[in-house]
Amino acid sequence: MASFVTAVDHDRFRRLGLSVSFVWLLCACQTFGASPEGPFSFVHDVEPVLTKAGCNGGVCHAKAGGGQNGFQLSLLGFEPEYDYDSVVKDARGRRIFPAAPEQSLLLMKASGQIPHGGGVRLVPDSDGYRLLHAWITQGAPYGDGSEPDLVSVSVVPDRGMVPRGGEQQLTATATYSDGSTRDVTALALYESNAEAMADVSSSGLVHVKDVPGNVAVMVRYQGKVAVFTAAVPLGATVNNLPEARNFIDEHVFANLQEIGIPPSPVCDDATFVRRVSLDIAGRLPTQEETIEFLERTEADKRDQWIEKLLQSPGYADFFANKWTSLLKNRRDDASDITSNFAFHAWIRDSLLANVPYDQLVRELLAATGTVIGNPPVAWYKRVKDPKEQLEDVAQLFLGVRMQCAQCHHHPFERWSQDDYYSLSAFFSQVGRKPTGVRGEDLIFHQRGIATTKNVKSGESLVPAALGDDVGAIPADEDPRLRLADWMSSPDNPFFAKAVVNRYWKHFFKRGLIEPEDDIRDTNPPTNPELLAALEKHFIESGFDLKELVRVITQSQAYQLSAMPNEHNLVDQQNYSRYYPRRMQAEVLFDAIDDLTGAKTTFANLPPGTRAVALPDNSYNKASAFLQVFGRPDSASVCECERVQSSSLAQSLHLINSAEMKSKLAAGDGRAATMATADMPIDVKVTELYLAAFSRKPTAEELQMAVQYLTEPVLDAEGNPLDESQTAQQNLQDLIWALVNTKEFLFNH
Amino acid sequence: MSHPFHASNVLCPGPETRRGFLRMGLAGFASLSLPGVLRLRADSPEQSRERTAVIMVWKPGGCSHIDTYDPKPEAASEYRGPFSTISTKVPGLQFTELLPMQAQIADKFTVLRSMRQTAGGHPAGSMQMLSGDPDTRDKPKPKYPDWMSVVYYLRAQEGPRTNPLPAYVGINPPTEYNGPAYVGEAYSPFSVTGDPNEPNFEVPNIGLSNAAEVTHLGRRSSLRENLDNLERAFDQAGELQALDEFETQAMTLLTNPKTKDAFDLTQEDDRTRDRYGRNSWGQQLLMARRLVEAGVDVLTSSLRGPLCGRVGNWDDHAVNHHVFDALRFRAKAYDQAVSALIEDIYERGLDKRVLVVVTGEFGRTPKINYDASTGAGNASAPAGTKQPGRDHWPRGFSNIWAGGGIETGRFIGATDKLGEDAVERVCSAGDFLATIYHHLGIDSSKVFIKDFNGRPTPIVDHGKPIQELIG
Repeated sequence: MASFVTAVDHDRFRRLGLSVSFVWLLCACQTFGASPEGPFSFVHDVEPVLTKAGCNGGVCHAKAGGGQNGFQLSLLGFEPEYDYDSVVKDARGRRIFPAAPEQSLLLMKASGQIPHGGGVRLVPDSDGYRLLHAWITQGAPYGDGSEPDLVSVSVVPDRGMVPRGGEQQLTATATYSDGSTRDVTALALYESNAEAMADVSSSGLVHVKDVPGNVAVMVRYQGKVAVFTAAVPLGATVNNLPEARNFIDEHVFANLQEIGIPPSPVCDDATFVRRVSLDIAGRLPTQEETIEFLERTEADKRDQWIEKLLQSPGYADFFANKWTSLLKNRRDDASDITSNFAFHAWIRDSLLANVPYDQLVRELLAATGTVIGNPPVAWYKRVKDPKEQLEDVAQLFLGVRMQCAQCHHHPFERWSQDDYYSLSAFFSQVGRKPTGVRGEDLIFHQRGIATTKNVKSGESLVPAALGDDVGAIPADEDPRLRLADWMSSPDNPFFAKAVVNRYWKHFFKRGLIEPEDDIRDTNPPTNPELLAALEKHFIESGFDLKELVRVITQSQAYQLSAMPNEHNLVDQQNYSRYYPRRMQAEVLFDAIDDLTGAKTTFANLPPGTRAVALPDNSYNKASAFLQVFGRPDSASVCECERVQSSSLAQSLHLINSAEMKSKLAAGDGRAATMATADMPIDVKVTELYLAAFSRKPTAEELQMAVQYLTEPVLDAEGNPLDESQTAQQNLQDLIWALVNTKEFLFNH
Repeated sequence: MSHPFHASNVLCPGPETRRGFLRMGLAGFASLSLPGVLRLRADSPEQSRERTAVIMVWKPGGCSHIDTYDPKPEAASEYRGPFSTISTKVPGLQFTELLPMQAQIADKFTVLRSMRQTAGGHPAGSMQMLSGDPDTRDKPKPKYPDWMSVVYYLRAQEGPRTNPLPAYVGINPPTEYNGPAYVGEAYSPFSVTGDPNEPNFEVPNIGLSNAAEVTHLGRRSSLRENLDNLERAFDQAGELQALDEFETQAMTLLTNPKTKDAFDLTQEDDRTRDRYGRNSWGQQLLMARRLVEAGVDVLTSSLRGPLCGRVGNWDDHAVNHHVFDALRFRAKAYDQAVSALIEDIYERGLDKRVLVVVTGEFGRTPKINYDASTGAGNASAPAGTKQPGRDHWPRGFSNIWAGGGIETGRFIGATDKLGEDAVERVCSAGDFLATIYHHLGIDSSKVFIKDFNGRPTPIVDHGKPIQELIG
């Protein structure tokens, strides 16, 4: 368990011949002018020991609903008065025993002298044990009320370059309201935001691993946080940078140069046209489009193709699919169909018309009326509870996860319960009147002064936006409009950042902040300058979503090859190459239909509707494919609900499902049509390659495929089957084989 | 779903227990990051210990406790129903006449008569029992993963499976009101649907049915391998490798005769097949036994369909069924299949490793009511006919437990004299789940899984293993 001194301190103290624990007590107390024997403060001396020992972790005594064995503490010690009562007064006072402190249940349990579900937390010789012992001896005082408040914690260094395999000792210092400071290195908690890159010991020693990039270590002490950011260079020579096309390239390449990761080269045209079509419109390019694109020679042909995709309905379908799921357009009841279709159409049409993002969000957030008259009202049908409304809005549009703060102070953030309930207050005047349609309310602003009660303190709070005062809101004004104003202000630190980071992740697989909807001071972006530049560009463009997509996809950074060079395979966050990823469920579904020529019809939708254009989650139930490949059920505001990992069911599905078989064998499908088509066999193979991979086969691939298609097939007795029988079967086999390659399943 | 800052899991170590190092590692799941714990287990000298498994037999709709395991012969006629009571092999334990075969082997299982949960609807009731959600309101989708998906997920963290069979198989499994929620669709069951008693019954995606198909798949696969040229090298995240592993596992399922054998009931002795009952339920449970024997960790099977009567489940409201006709209609198949499974588990020496639990989401109202049938059919009179029914009853009901190394031949807990409220040794849904987890080596008070918001969420937020039901 924790050593209560840093390695550095330890050595120094030993040289001085001092007992480490004695020195520690001395240090701990000197700022308050007390003797080494106290008096101690529960808040400043005892609580930190309990926190460091893990007693008040969410899985231990701060577990909701009773802690462990009836001993409950507040999460991470955010409520010292409550904890004091728990330790000193509850359980008939048997947790402490001033007459014989070592007999206190608190110490007996913590030191494992009597069985303790949490094991040994403080060995009898440890500093923490001694402090608790001394405090109990003193009669377990809470404090005399004169102690200063903790104001902040800082870490030294707060940033630095650490080589791969290197180490960095951190020092944490607490500052109090009387200006005094205290070294709390031994008592602070440390956490890395990417354990694959660096871990950190309980005494604040950061150990950097092999992966280059930026990694952050959060330092927490009694509700205050600080961050250490390490840049971990690879240190290779970078002299092959493509010419920057826009500010994105400047920032990505500057970072690559700084940490010494040479990027992969820009990808070829075939790779580009497939990649960008999948990423913008959620579909493969047709073979005609591919051929035309490959044959064109204009210098700006890639930009032109991006433009064409952005104007296409496919763009609106694909991004509407993304947003409707996050906005919980969910069919719980058959009767939801009308409002779900209306809501989906509203988003899709808005995206197609490129309604500015701030306006789109305002229409949703401040929606009034009925679903049919004003489709964004459907969000209020689905998300009824004001708490869920604020949580969803915060996470989706601001990238801030407020859920924690409903019941306790956010463990890694500055958000308090007051922040939570004052954000909730924006939704407190949402009025509802039943309509003739079952389950649907008319939404209106209910005249009155918006307030929400903090359930813990009982205090009534007026609307405030994450700590920002938005001014007094008169009874006649819908407070949601004030929230929308605050969001779309150019100075808002969250709104634009959240969406540009979300879109960045869409195109680059990894957000500049990860997870993309967990933006906080303690989770810094890997390339802050780039994120700031994207925000600025987006705001200056008038919150133009198509422009955001345009500037991202036009960058050379986006167009880098997925193939690693000798240096950058280890890179997972610097965008030195395109990170390949499996196509998402709907896109893969459509891609297989396109390649096999099968046509799927979906209930209540016109023939030809593609899976990316499905309006809600109800189709997952009917399609095993969409379900096993992880199409979300619109239950969560988090993109993580979409499962992108592989599974046994997926493999079985692609290899042998009835659904795949019927697609391959579709009567008017590609294999059937091609089998009887009068065209040379190598042309057939080339067509399949263009359809599947947006490229022509190599000579070797062509030869292998042709050989397969022309090889005689033997029946069970070993006699060759008639060619007319086998032609279609062989083509099905070839299509099956193409579908099951990584080159098909992945966007790369 | 990767989330930073999950230190809350790192600080609370496992308790020390009497049972030594291995148990401590298991119980201490939350103490270390999960992989850490599992490494501990892998290093343990007891590593070769057999993997524990659970078969859950599910009675969807809710089975009347008072007419089966918890008879109240002293109660007034508007409660007790028409069935007489019979003695069992266990002194003092009585069932109704519907369960003669289980009565004969009552020394091989334990009856829990004081199960209680708090939700009156099928969705919420099922979610309480299967995923520990305390919510009493019905909702269309579960918020929390069911215990089966949780176990599948936790076991998958231990490393790649060596057994070619999936870890979690459902034979006509319960799926309506449960699911993997935030652990992800990949942890859904491998589902076998249909009636395994049908002569032409086949499990799709298990062992291709003829040699020509296997050859054909082989040809396709080698073509694919030749054409799959995209460099693995570009994958640092391990996604391609994971995909390759699943493909290999899928191909094994399809082509390895052994996996086909595990599902093949024709390999069973005719007498065994007869013992279970030559009907869907009997053969489902026989297949369940075959599969856990072959290495499946979690197996669920719902007893539903035509054998239940007109509406195909145990939901014996008067509008659906004549409750007593319905129970009589399904009793033989039920009694036979369940008793056969329990007996078989012991005969084949699976009784330590495999825990069998038979339950539904709730019991049924002890007080009989009458209403008009909504349609004629098995166990239901023509539409409009008044018939007796019993409604949903979560306040006190029964389930049975066998195997798992537990002490059997007992009956635990009791409902009051009308069978209305569990009054002795009351067990909650959390207790029910904690008991199952305990058998699988999981201390449910210590394991947290992150939900969609990244919040570490306990796999069950209340309850303790039922001491009388742990081995």
